[in-house]
Amino acid sequence: MPLAIGTTLSRRRFLTLTGVLAAGSLALSASTLWPRWARAEPELATRLLRLGRDIYPHEAIADRYYLAPLTPLLGEQRELIAAGLDDLDRRARAAHGRDYAAVDSAAEREALLRQIEDGEFFQAVRNTLVVGLYDTPELWQAHFGYEGSSWEQGGYVGRGYNDLVIDWL
Amino acid sequence: MSTRFEHDDDGVLVIIGSGAGGGTLAHALARKGIKSVVLEAGKRYALEDIENDEWAMFEKISWLDERITAGPRQLSETFPNLPAWIVKGVGGSTIHWAGVALRFQPHEFRLHSEVGDIAGANLLDWPISYEELEPYYVQAERHMGVTGDASGMPLHDWNNNFMVLAEGARRVGYEKLRAGPMAINTRPYDDRPQCMQAGFCMQGCRFGAKWSTMYTDIPRAEATGYCEVRPNAMALTIEHDERGRVNAVVYADAEGNLQRQRARAVCVAGNSIESPRLLLNSHSALFPDGLANSSGQVGRNYMTHATACVFAEMPKPVNMHRGTTFAGIISDEARLDRSRGFVGGYTLEVMSLGLPFFAKFMDPANGGWGRDYAAILEKYDHLSGVWICGEDLPMEENGITLHDSRKDQYGLPVPIVYKGDHPNDEALRRHGQQQARSCYEAVGAVRVFDVPDFPTSHNVGTNRMSARPEDGVVNQWGQAHDIDNLFVSDGSQFTSSGAENPTLTIVALALRQADHIAERMSRGEL
Repeated sequence: MPLAIGTTLSRRRFLTLTGVLAAGSLALSASTLWPRWARAEPELATRLLRLGRDIYPHEAIADRYYLAPLTPLLGEQRELIAAGLDDLDRRARAAHGRDYAAVDSAAEREALLRQIEDGEFFQAVRNTLVVGLYDTPELWQAHFGYEGSSWEQGGYVGRGYNDLVIDWL
Repeated sequence: MSTRFEHDDDGVLVIIGSGAGGGTLAHALARKGIKSVVLEAGKRYALEDIENDEWAMFEKISWLDERITAGPRQLSETFPNLPAWIVKGVGGSTIHWAGVALRFQPHEFRLHSEVGDIAGANLLDWPISYEELEPYYVQAERHMGVTGDASGMPLHDWNNNFMVLAEGARRVGYEKLRAGPMAINTRPYDDRPQCMQAGFCMQGCRFGAKWSTMYTDIPRAEATGYCEVRPNAMALTIEHDERGRVNAVVYADAEGNLQRQRARAVCVAGNSIESPRLLLNSHSALFPDGLANSSGQVGRNYMTHATACVFAEMPKPVNMHRGTTFAGIISDEARLDRSRGFVGGYTLEVMSLGLPFFAKFMDPANGGWGRDYAAILEKYDHLSGVWICGEDLPMEENGITLHDSRKDQYGLPVPIVYKGDHPNDEALRRHGQQQARSCYEAVGAVRVFDVPDFPTSHNVGTNRMSARPEDGVVNQWGQAHDIDNLFVSDGSQFTSSGAENPTLTIVALALRQADHIAERMSRGEL
């Protein structure tokens, strides 16, 4: 779903909320493939990306595959997301003296998220991501060994449905 | 296809639902020259509409009308509006079923006699024996094309997923390991092609190799000229005359307009949530508690099978997604053996999910995320899975009720689907999980983990059969005790759940009911 975000608001937010981006410059390097909203609001996108990558961490999967499925969420529940990210930063500052994305330890970030995992904000992001991220056909074969639709190729008759050799025992 | 019956034609049977029960019944009656109108709430789909895409098909064919999941189980939190995973479409849940076609065992028809009273359970014998149903099992197996003796088709070759489980099962001493029986063709049969091992059985079979009324019974019934199927027709109430015999069904058509179809008799086959819901919603001055409900048992004794899933990561790729979804069955634990600490048995059925569904269903609770979660998903192609299909005891408080004020898009009260577990169910589930774990450990699993059960596809028992009118809703023919021209033709008539998938038994009962209806019509009783 394409998302029209007011550019005025985006620019203003970008200009007023600077200095937060610990990983921002790194993420921006590949950002030409980001969804439009994320390119317009790289600061928001980067914070959300850190969260998404902590919820379902797959190091080899590019950022855009996390951002693309979150696009509808930004359209429908923008305030919930913005407030949730702010709350997460407050918790991170209280516990570690820095914003969430700047907490180096993945285990410490996960611990922060476990505190909020029953909340509406976290579940909105998780539920969107668990469906969207893993329903991305480009990722299936390379990252998970899942082959997707097979009927066009005549199924798996003669293509390895019964070729297993149990040689590890 | 072109047969049309008038709304005021009171010579037709009205069948509500077009799945395993309704679709089979309509076809069997049509072949006897008995006229019927089938009201199907969902759309009509073509084979070309069937995709190998889990979420796309879920969105396309599932019954997603508002329902409330209630009761002390995780499902009430994880799927608050989706207690059941069934289909809304011509063909019903035979589009979605995985093809496992097991007969009930003789003792399962008389579980109460076998085990006596159990506190908290509402046990009852079926008013029909295995011996009485057996000829119809044979007929159903030929009709559906079930691999094995009845159809003459060989069982499927073992797929990789089953090879893994079966090797572990052999090592723990299990012997009853079979890739079937399944109503999935292993060679061309009944004008349908053989299985191509595409996977995606539960998204609908793109090839038509799996039996479904969608492309067998329904079009064949229509071709006789004795059956009219009306898709997008949601039954709202069943009406009756002053003597209490049913005579019409009011339904909403595709445009939302109310229609009334006169009826000689009515057969309810809307699955175990919609069928009691319709009977309850059809209350009247004569039947204030709903139709066929003098026993108070309409909507009660809802059973789903005591289930769980166990998945294991193996040292090397298994590619469980290749081949039929439920590819093999272990029946050693299906027996009745109280020494295990529970009554009833269970079958272990190897299963697969695609990555999109597995990512969601591995742990749908709030905590289903994180480094460990993602690490398992990265080993997706190394996974093997098994599903436990266990006897679920009937409990009176488990069931379907109508919400006081919430209405759906048709103006019908929203159904509340309440289900709790009997301690017997919990003991059975734990045993099954432990045995499945042992199988996988015996074949060298790297890790084994439990996966909670999903919204249930096996829904039975809410209009149960009974010998005595005070114990249940219908008699041994599926005929309402209270109303002699009202029938229940789906899994809601089950008196107990057995340790087997319900579809074959639903079909056998529908074939038997068709003979009974024809016989009574020939005697002038209907």
